[in-house]
Amino acid sequence: MPTQEVPMAFKEKRTIVTIATGILILLAYCRQSFGRPVVETATDVILKAQAVTMLKFIGIGVLAMIVIQILFHILYSISLAVSSTIKKGSCTDEEIEEAIAFEVIDDERDKIIELKSLRAGFVITGTGFVASLLWLVMDGSPAQVLNIIFMSFALGSILEGFTRLFYYSR
Amino acid sequence: MANKLIITNRIRELRFFTGEMTQQQLAKVTGVSRQTILAIEAGKYSPSLELAFLIADAFKVKIDEVFTFEKDRDTGKESVHDKK
Repeated sequence: MPTQEVPMAFKEKRTIVTIATGILILLAYCRQSFGRPVVETATDVILKAQAVTMLKFIGIGVLAMIVIQILFHILYSISLAVSSTIKKGSCTDEEIEEAIAFEVIDDERDKIIELKSLRAGFVITGTGFVASLLWLVMDGSPAQVLNIIFMSFALGSILEGFTRLFYYSR
Repeated sequence: MANKLIITNRIRELRFFTGEMTQQQLAKVTGVSRQTILAIEAGKYSPSLELAFLIADAFKVKIDEVFTFEKDRDTGKESVHDKK
């Protein structure tokens, strides 16, 4: 059977946007967090400051994801309208809405891919959690332990996206 | 060791005989995305039994006229259709 090249779909493009956003947020967090001097002793003030930074970045992350997804939807709709107008000569709002609604359908293949990618993400998150405990056992700074936990969640989410892309392209 | 099943399909052929039905149209009828139809047609994804029945129904044929499977291809054993 001849193999057919599968064109990149809306979900794949959305996953790339999500990965890029996740990487940017992680880089911003690393810059903010690793700019501080490492303090070996845990004080309530240090841990509280670390917790505030983490909460701040969780908030920023959620907001950034929402804003970027909305922007992505708008840009995708515009690109659909433009390509449809070039092809057919005209394009109504209903046609665009129908095309978008059709693209965002979550079918059985999407659910299987989601499950597989979630599993890959959980492996990284779990490994990071165990690594953070080991770091604590080896007399690591509690602030660094919090960093490892945060980063393992972020990396798990990024790996989840890459796994999703891998299964979509397979 | 478990036998490896090789599932093949005639979706492209059946689409041709159904007035050159597009992948998009088949996807709409079966309620999945075009990428899923593309992946099934290319043999990259094996659909669930429900989806396989829906695809067969879209072409108004029986499921075994759309999907066939072979086992033990390496050992030269026949496919399920050769036995008929």
